[in-house]
Amino acid sequence: MAEETKPADAAPPKPAPPPGPPPPRNPGLVTFTIDGREAVVKPGTNLIEAAASVGVSIPYYCYQKRLSIAANCRMCLVEMSNAPGGKLMPACQMTAAEGVSVRTDSPKVKEQQRATLEFLLVNHPVDCPICDQSGECKLQDYYMQYNATASRLDVPKVKLQKRVKLGALVVLDQERCILCTRCVRFMSEIRKNPQLGVDNRGSHSVIATAPGLPLDDRYSGNVVDLCPVGALTSTDFRFRGRVWFLSSARSLCTGCARGCNVFLDYMRDGVYRYRPRENDLVNQEWMCDEGRLSYKPFNDARVLAARVGRSNVPRAQAVAEAARLLRAHAGQGTLALLASPVASLEDLLAAALVARDGLKLSEIYVGGRPDGWHDDFLRRADQNPNRAGLALVAKAFGLAVKSASDLADAVASGKVKGVWAVGAELPAPALASALGKAEALVVQATNEGDLAAAATVLLPASPAPESDGTFVNFEGRAQRVELAYWPRGESLPHWGLSAEIGRALGLVSRWASARQLFEDLGRRVADQLPGYAWNSLPSVDRRKGLIPLAAGTVDGRLPGQRERMPLDQSGNVQWTRLPSSREETP
Amino acid sequence: MSKATETAVHPVPAAASPLDAPFPTKRMLVNLGPSHPAMHGTVRAVVELDGEAVHAMKLDIGFLHRGFEKSCENVTWTQVFPYTDRLNYVSSIMNNVGYALAVEKLAGLQVPERAQYLRVITSELHRMCDHLTLISAMGLELGAMTVLIYGMEARDLIWDRLTELCGARLTSNYARVGGVSRDVPPGWNEKVLRILDRTEALRVEIDRLLTRNRIVIDRTRGTGVVSREDAIDYGFTGPCLRASGVSYDVRKASPYLVYDRLDFDVPVGSNGDNFDRYLMRMEEMKQSDRIVRQCFDQMQPGAIAADDSRYVLPPKPEVYGSIEGAMAHFKIIMEGIKVPAGEAYAYVEAANGELGFYAVSDGSGRPYKLGVRAPGWNMLMALPQMMEGKLLADLIPTFDTINMIGGEVEQ
Repeated sequence: MAEETKPADAAPPKPAPPPGPPPPRNPGLVTFTIDGREAVVKPGTNLIEAAASVGVSIPYYCYQKRLSIAANCRMCLVEMSNAPGGKLMPACQMTAAEGVSVRTDSPKVKEQQRATLEFLLVNHPVDCPICDQSGECKLQDYYMQYNATASRLDVPKVKLQKRVKLGALVVLDQERCILCTRCVRFMSEIRKNPQLGVDNRGSHSVIATAPGLPLDDRYSGNVVDLCPVGALTSTDFRFRGRVWFLSSARSLCTGCARGCNVFLDYMRDGVYRYRPRENDLVNQEWMCDEGRLSYKPFNDARVLAARVGRSNVPRAQAVAEAARLLRAHAGQGTLALLASPVASLEDLLAAALVARDGLKLSEIYVGGRPDGWHDDFLRRADQNPNRAGLALVAKAFGLAVKSASDLADAVASGKVKGVWAVGAELPAPALASALGKAEALVVQATNEGDLAAAATVLLPASPAPESDGTFVNFEGRAQRVELAYWPRGESLPHWGLSAEIGRALGLVSRWASARQLFEDLGRRVADQLPGYAWNSLPSVDRRKGLIPLAAGTVDGRLPGQRERMPLDQSGNVQWTRLPSSREETP
Repeated sequence: MSKATETAVHPVPAAASPLDAPFPTKRMLVNLGPSHPAMHGTVRAVVELDGEAVHAMKLDIGFLHRGFEKSCENVTWTQVFPYTDRLNYVSSIMNNVGYALAVEKLAGLQVPERAQYLRVITSELHRMCDHLTLISAMGLELGAMTVLIYGMEARDLIWDRLTELCGARLTSNYARVGGVSRDVPPGWNEKVLRILDRTEALRVEIDRLLTRNRIVIDRTRGTGVVSREDAIDYGFTGPCLRASGVSYDVRKASPYLVYDRLDFDVPVGSNGDNFDRYLMRMEEMKQSDRIVRQCFDQMQPGAIAADDSRYVLPPKPEVYGSIEGAMAHFKIIMEGIKVPAGEAYAYVEAANGELGFYAVSDGSGRPYKLGVRAPGWNMLMALPQMMEGKLLADLIPTFDTINMIGGEVEQ
């Protein structure tokens, strides 16, 4: 038998290893092309963000930049030159690689997007007319953009539960859900409180809580914002208004000292909801449930007319009476100023100026809401949005800061007989009756309450949405709110009421708007607010007259209500209001 | 009108005999309109008269200005249609069609054949309405009241048919981007053919009343003359241009819809006077009649709007029965159709001439800019030059035959 010998050189040559990635053209960065445009991004950037940086938008449902990658919606599939077998790759999961060419507009990708939408809509109910998401729904947007073909379905749709109450603030419609699992990932990753999961399989999969356990996290409302479709809706906003009638103003939550940035959605002179507005430095894009509902006092139980004693009087008459009382007590040295840290910086500046120059006061008593719950995420124990601002104002005007209970003691001892309260919030309910013992109690209140009920003279004040203003949060960060609608009823912002009282006391009022006030008095606190500019919100002049529709809105949606005019109860424009309250644009 | 103050009183020429002594006259300023029965629509002409001759003339327009172009920027592409009705309100469908063609050009949208035929039929019916109105009014103002009665009978017969089709006599709002709003009701074609017969009879009657009428000929022949060169320089289009001897008709020069499949003639005049302009209209009505009859022969059953839910509302069963239809309906109604960014000019042969729409889109649901070339504008602007040195009495038939329509000129 011939010995089989393998010649040493007969071994088949090993296949050449695949060529490695080319050396980076921009050291430290990744350079690649997307739809023919060259993009240079940091290593590890996913394709959705990389495409957005060069103006190419890739559609997606499940991707959320603050959540982990699920890649389950299949909407973001793109063509990549390095994909094995020309397979389409999810752009949310794939990171940019050197020299790769990405196509988001090829026929293959377009067909995939169309097909994905067709599948997503297979079991979707015909709910647009009754769905709260209608008008801000990604299914509607992407259907028109990427599908726009008629239904081919000729079998019945899967029927699921239409109204599953997951928690106090969140209702689930299982039929509308596309199972992107953003809500599940938010609860487990951001909240570390995995109260949501996916039950069952296939087309019977549903989002669910564990049996018998509600979704009771204190940040549960965020899943409503995260939901790209109408599956999760807010029990608070549900069926209260169609979103296309709402307009948005850039505002702040005034529920605690954090000052979460929000869009305040309003119609006419009513607030309908808060939506968190992105600010990486403050609240990222979340807010707590309690803050989400903290707009309610803007609508309900408002003080809208001035009162002297128990009778309603015109505001001018009440202001004159208030000035008379304040002057009398100031002359005797028995007057005190109680200021609320719920009021804006402008409100407090005006009050402090009138107190010091008009009434010769040297102390400021601080009211405000009592402390509440807190956590290490967003919520602060201090429920007052502007305590830091009040401290700045007191310092700037040389007013000594004292507590509301000091004031109650001073009233009880007879040292203080007249109180001027700018804001009626009190840290303890018992203080109201203690202060009510003062001979003269001038209260500027936004809402009815114990102190308002005890007032000798009650002046109607406007809360945050009805004026431009500044709030300083617990970190000393000054943030703007913007006027959403004109003050309701006879009310005026605190700064307006303070200015009227000051005028009655013989001071010269120099402000027709919050902007003018800030330009005038804001200098006194400017060194404490580094980097803050009144105009930090872009395009604040957009509210002049009829908004041209082509100009767009602050949040990029179509405008809802087109007029920003002060309206009375019957919907007529109150022209007399305009010159004094309308902001002058420089 | 500064000339008037310079020479308030004419120098008295030396007379051959005392009997020939001319009467020294002042120039007189006469306001014709804005609410004068012979000033159609609402337009004011300030005429400086030297005796009976027009020494100078100024037009004061704008009484019907509505800010059409600007208003269109504030509504969705589809909501513009009712606004176009108010341009030349006597023949609104031609405005609808012109605008629809501009948007379809931007969108690159193919319109089904039946919709194209329906657009042609309704356009031509409206052309007849427009010409009937002109001729009736001219007859009335030249003293032939009967013509108005006949003309209005014919016009109302047509308008009744159009009412059956689109629900309105005047503001038809019939065309849509991608097609037309509705198909013809049952038996409509036959009805139209019957009223075409009656209209023809009335047209013949009017023809016999006017065309060889001594008074009409005296008032219109050789008056309001515009030469071929002037007509081109002024930018005349339509019957007024053709009356001056230029054979230009958009339907032939740049056929749109299905006009290239239809057999019709374009009448061309030679004198450019009021009489020729009148004759153009009489002949064009005959041609419109021919076109409508041919369309009925050629038209096949089929879709009346493009099958593309990006631009055309889906049928109602789909809207109520499928989520796809509901979404398309919602998005089109709430945000408007998303016309691709770009600009386009589309033009049609309207009753008065070339009606052009220049549309600019930024890709959103509303026009970024919309411009209109109103055919009546050029004729109206030429009127003072046409009338200089002519008799005041000639102003009336001239104003008639240039057919100024306030709605389109003043937008």
